[in-house]
Amino acid sequence: MVPRIALHFTWLLLAVCVHAGSLLLQNPRFTITSSTAAQLRADTLSLTEKPEPLKLEPSDTLKLTFQITEKSEGKGVQPHQTFLRFYDSVSGEEGIQPVRVTPGGKAKFELNMARPPASLPPTTDHPLEVSLILGSFVHEPTTFDLFDLYVPSSYTPVPHPDEAKFHKLPLIHHTFRPEQKLPPKFVSAIFAALVLSPWLVLLGLWSKIGVRVPHLFSPRIIPFTVLLGAFEALLCWYWVDLKLGQVLLYGGILAIPTIFAGKTALAATGEWRTGKN
Amino acid sequence: MRFFVLALVSFLALANNVFAKSSTGDSVLVVIDPSLKKEDYSKFFGGLEERGYQLTFRGPRDAHPPVEQYGIPGFSHVILFTPETKSYASDITPQSLVGLLSENTNLLVTLSTKQTPLSSLSTEFSLIPPPPGTPLISHHPARSEPATVIPIPVSESPLLTPGTSPVWFSGVPHAFGNSPYLVPILRATSESFAADSLDDSGADALVDASEKAGEGLWAGSHLGLVTGFQTLKNSRVVFAGGVEMFSDEYANKALPDGTPSGNEKFVKDITAWAFRETLALRIDNTTHHRAGEEVPPETYTTNDQIVYTAHISAYDPKTSSWKPYSGITDMQLEFTMLDPHIRIALPPVAGEPGKYQVQFRAPDRHGVFKFVVDWRRKGYPLLQTSTTVPVVPPRHDQYPRFLSAAWPYYAGAISTSVGFFLFSALWLAGDVEGKKKKGLKTE
Repeated sequence: MVPRIALHFTWLLLAVCVHAGSLLLQNPRFTITSSTAAQLRADTLSLTEKPEPLKLEPSDTLKLTFQITEKSEGKGVQPHQTFLRFYDSVSGEEGIQPVRVTPGGKAKFELNMARPPASLPPTTDHPLEVSLILGSFVHEPTTFDLFDLYVPSSYTPVPHPDEAKFHKLPLIHHTFRPEQKLPPKFVSAIFAALVLSPWLVLLGLWSKIGVRVPHLFSPRIIPFTVLLGAFEALLCWYWVDLKLGQVLLYGGILAIPTIFAGKTALAATGEWRTGKN
Repeated sequence: MRFFVLALVSFLALANNVFAKSSTGDSVLVVIDPSLKKEDYSKFFGGLEERGYQLTFRGPRDAHPPVEQYGIPGFSHVILFTPETKSYASDITPQSLVGLLSENTNLLVTLSTKQTPLSSLSTEFSLIPPPPGTPLISHHPARSEPATVIPIPVSESPLLTPGTSPVWFSGVPHAFGNSPYLVPILRATSESFAADSLDDSGADALVDASEKAGEGLWAGSHLGLVTGFQTLKNSRVVFAGGVEMFSDEYANKALPDGTPSGNEKFVKDITAWAFRETLALRIDNTTHHRAGEEVPPETYTTNDQIVYTAHISAYDPKTSSWKPYSGITDMQLEFTMLDPHIRIALPPVAGEPGKYQVQFRAPDRHGVFKFVVDWRRKGYPLLQTSTTVPVVPPRHDQYPRFLSAAWPYYAGAISTSVGFFLFSALWLAGDVEGKKKKGLKTE
């Protein structure tokens, strides 16, 4: 009776041990070899602190070996999930690579940068944090942080054609034609003075010979003179402000009295020429 | 009296629409597989009804009520709780579901490890489903539930309430294509993976599968579990990897550390986004005019100063109304003739909610231009508007006048006018003397 109960108890104890069993990582070692099979770096990984970051050139190979054992009994086990996780904390990219483990718990992983696995995430010049994820249906799950790894940068994948529209696009500024360049005002003033110089000559000569205008303010002449002046003023106003239709209208209105005033003026002039004679 | 009753009835029918909870309508069709019980999802459906939605239930093989009739959708939103159904009634096909999306109906689709028409529909939305029969498994964190029931922490997202607790999930992951219209809502944890093994001896099969498939193992946080897709018509569809996430059992289940799960809040948030309650924006109107004026002119002239204004509002589900929204900081305006000639920021105006305004100088080129606003961001609807305006070169009298270089010419022309006037005046006014002698001569 008693031995049977003891037997049951040992089974129970064993079951408890198996369920509460956690996994241990034994002898984790890494080796970096170059393409010429020269060993660049080799070391054992300590699980309490990370080593110096590992660097891989485009033709180097990283070999990682370890053994997974059970805590309680120390014998090797093959857990369901033995994954290496490569994580870029800056860009958030992650890659998961399963590692083949023998039934005795021994595992070997090789990363050849000349033929990288599809699971390696897109990389930049930031380091990848490498950790080991262990999971099992019968043991407790664990994660071990292994080391930081620098690998060569990868090509960026081809983006979707609409991808650019989901971000701020570069600003476009229009280059306008440059403002018209004018010659210096001083030069324009000199030439304007040149153009006006004949007036000086005319005024000078007139002052010499004297201008006799006896009929200037005669009531038969002055309307025409004034209307002619008004026409000149209309022309000046057209230059500054008016539109064609308006100037033609005003000119037409002004032309009617001008015709009569002109006839009167010419008749008067004719009379003076014949009358005086 | 009869007229009054009629008026009241029609007012109430319209009022139903006025006090709608979602910006696009309240009627929801729930297509639920006969193997699933409506009572198991009472919290989810009860929550929807509380928020003001009218739910109608039917099975996948029922012909009535149809999702659409003669091209017109019968409901504003459709929920498909049919993760394992392989054959539907004739009105539900992948083509008809895409047609519903073009007609502004929103969808919530659940997937499972079985290959169904819905999983082939998800490939049309740039999602890649895993091989059939491989649910998501995770051994982390240690818990008493089986490995297929996984607590997933909820990351920050503009769709979700910040601080939502981890949610229980059971179903399949999917991988993302590169479409920018996808909105990842819930991603798998780094330690989870898709596999069909049930005990530790499946480890070798896992490694073999990853080497054979060529795309790596279906594992890690680049897999999505709940993903949304925003269509160009601004309707939304959410693909969820499993239907158990919506159930009462998962809503009530406590997380491994004892705190309650976030399932109830999470499914409420994703239905709020899918049914266009949250993150619903629209352009109310746009105006343009010259600086200093208020009415748009018939044509603009090159080198004009132009002012462009847009009014944008967001839907407020609490009051069921559209309120002005000034939260967009990176909107851009393009002034385009075949290619953008000008692209500038369209910032919000401080002090006037919902108004975005910018002033710029029209380019030197004349032609037919368009004011184009095309704002797309993940999770938000597309804000697009295009207004065509002609830009003409200056008229003959709009060029700069009275230039200093023309002073000699002004002097010459004015001299001519003055000279003519003086000559006429002096000739008319002048004395005629020489005629005396001539008269004597003729005599």
